[in-house]
Amino acid sequence: MKFLDRMMEQRSRELAQRSSRRGLLKGLGSLLVGSAAIPLLPVARASAAGNPGQPVEEGDPSSCDYWRYCAIDGFLCDCCGGSANTCPPGTEMSPVTWIGTCLNPADGRNYVISYNDCCGKSSCGACLCQRDEGDRPPYRPDATNDINWCLGTSSAAYHCSTAIVVGVALEDS
Amino acid sequence: MTKVQAAIAALLLCSCLPASASGTAAENSRAYRQAHFDYQMNCQGCHAPDGAGAGSVPRMKGHVGVFLQSQQGREYLVRVPGSATSALDDTRLAAVLNWIVLEFSGDSLASDFQPYSAAEIGRMRQQPLNEVDDYRVELLRTLSDASGRNQ
Repeated sequence: MKFLDRMMEQRSRELAQRSSRRGLLKGLGSLLVGSAAIPLLPVARASAAGNPGQPVEEGDPSSCDYWRYCAIDGFLCDCCGGSANTCPPGTEMSPVTWIGTCLNPADGRNYVISYNDCCGKSSCGACLCQRDEGDRPPYRPDATNDINWCLGTSSAAYHCSTAIVVGVALEDS
Repeated sequence: MTKVQAAIAALLLCSCLPASASGTAAENSRAYRQAHFDYQMNCQGCHAPDGAGAGSVPRMKGHVGVFLQSQQGREYLVRVPGSATSALDDTRLAAVLNWIVLEFSGDSLASDFQPYSAAEIGRMRQQPLNEVDDYRVELLRTLSDASGRNQ
């Protein structure tokens, strides 16, 4: 124990000889002022302001009432092992899709929604939703949700539907 | 807004607004965003966000400018059913076609491209194509023969 006492005393005396109490105060002061100034630097302002193309999100993506599903007709991928943005494992997202707009009640803006179907497995069977807002008859094939949108995929078997935000809708001027 | 977007917006503005309209930056931006939105709502579902197409949907990315090498090709882009029978009026169809050509052509577009006008669109869309696939193959063969390179 005496050895430890001696060593601590020696180290403390060496430290006291090499540094000053004012130096310690100076260092602490710099640290405090520097820390307070960091948030004032012009860094990451863009991300702090939020992305104008991304919606404010609220609601349950496994419910038919979720805002993005305003024109959906099919099974929700969110209930089938995927999400509102992604396909369940073992399925392939169709690159060909039908597109509409939905009003987001959280921020009062309309967004462009792409209803990409997930294909390659038989129908999921969970969370069947049919809201059809803006759906058009089959003679407007680009705006109807009654056809199988598993186009451009290796299999035409429909499994479930996503609802991906691809942009902000432009209001009529 | 990038320089490319600004150039596209300026061209779109020239092609679809009356000559008396003044081209402020805000209007340019609005014209660009309107054309992009119209593309999203009327074309993107099949042609993909970047014009790459999918499966039997033709690729426009890096290619669509080839059609502007002849008058027949210029008319083709308006006479395809997706254009000719779309719900867009002549002015907005002209704007979205100009947007597509300028946004997706890449090196396939000649530097002397003249934007579509609404009047031109109104004329051309009166004759929509029926056998589009066959017409396209023949048209591309003609363009290939004329330019001496494979399209």
